[in-house]
Amino acid sequence: MSTKHKVTIIEPSEIVSAGLKQLVEYGGNFHVVKIFKSIQDYSENQNGNPDIILINPSVMNIGDTNERNILTTKDNVSIVAICYLAYNEETLRNYDGCIGMFCTQEQIEKKLQSALKTSSDKEQDDNSNELSARECEILTAVAKGKTNKEIADEFNLSIHTVISHRKNISHKLGINSIAGLTIYAVMNKLLDVEDF
Amino acid sequence: MDNKINAPTFSAKTKMSEIITSSSLLSIIERLNIKLGFGEASINEICRRNNLSTELFLKICKVYAVESFVPDIENLTREDIPEIIGYLQRTHKYWTGSFFPNLHSNIHTMLDSCDGTSKRMLNKFYDDYDEEIKKHLDYEENTVFPYILSLIDSEQKNANSYRIKDFEENHSNIEEKLQDLKNIVIKYLPESASQQSRINVLNEIFKIEDDLNKHSIIENKILIPLVSKFE
Ligand SMILES: [Fe+2]
Ligand SMILES: [Fe+2]
Repeated sequence: MSTKHKVTIIEPSEIVSAGLKQLVEYGGNFHVVKIFKSIQDYSENQNGNPDIILINPSVMNIGDTNERNILTTKDNVSIVAICYLAYNEETLRNYDGCIGMFCTQEQIEKKLQSALKTSSDKEQDDNSNELSARECEILTAVAKGKTNKEIADEFNLSIHTVISHRKNISHKLGINSIAGLTIYAVMNKLLDVEDF
Repeated sequence: MDNKINAPTFSAKTKMSEIITSSSLLSIIERLNIKLGFGEASINEICRRNNLSTELFLKICKVYAVESFVPDIENLTREDIPEIIGYLQRTHKYWTGSFFPNLHSNIHTMLDSCDGTSKRMLNKFYDDYDEEIKKHLDYEENTVFPYILSLIDSEQKNANSYRIKDFEENHSNIEEKLQDLKNIVIKYLPESASQQSRINVLNEIFKIEDDLNKHSIIENKILIPLVSKFE
């Protein structure tokens, strides 16, 4: 398929978003469908149904799940940070990639491609009815009572990815409550009864 | 009128006898204390005889009869509120007095044939769910409904600070765990659990899941918005 991947930009500076749009679209693989100045702006308007959201971390508190949820109403959307300054690793781990002020056009292209790959991996998982090995690990951690943040730390994933895994797990099993997931984990010997 | 395409075409003029086509519609009649023996009387006529607003009756019927129908409060009045609460209370009574005890005993029978771990965990899961239901209903019966009834009873503003918004914010979802239980029984229970006992449990769950759902719709989309008009 040769359709272009859709990109939405959330960035307060017009200079930066206009420049980014140029560079992102240059290679012909990506198309910037919408540009927003703030997260409010984004949430109040049609978001253009993007495959990738490019966002300046300073416009949102990514640890805030509410704000996070505003961005991820669609499954498999990748979120890439626009970085003016060096953010700490902790913050950036919540993103599927990061574009800096000194990135070249080729580097941007590569980063967007690899952010997309992260999400197409997820799609592949979705197609199988069985839980993947990663999903089993995450399910076990959930059943042990770990929070999304703890799971993200343990497996070196973004919180966004953990949430997306959890959605897929619940969807496949038809079980949403933690108590129900725990029963599944024990019945399928993912977890020892002695563990709790 | 509502603009749902698949809305069955019943209206105030429809014969009451014609809409009694399923056990869920029959239970509405029962919960609204309407006696059978309609003859050829219309919905309007039967509602009038029972001192019940036709608008309210039609809305409740549509919630049950029309898939994904979301009711509004157009044409409903202050006088409809006690009727709605009565309807909800009689539903609660059916659940706690008959439905859930019955489900519980069916689950016990089913788990008797399971091994130690599954049995222990599922028992606990169901007991927790039972507790959750009890809390949910107790809160409505002891806090929400009395508040509403005193609100519409007295002309002066209510002295205590409780508002229907507090209910809206605390109104928990009691369907989720039942769905989990259903899928566990269908998909994951060990083979040792007897087939017939599983089928009995599932049939019970099928009977109630829609009822739980529609009940919440009436609370969230009719009761809460209507009451907030009079606060
Ligand atoms: Fe209720
Ligand atoms: Fe309720």
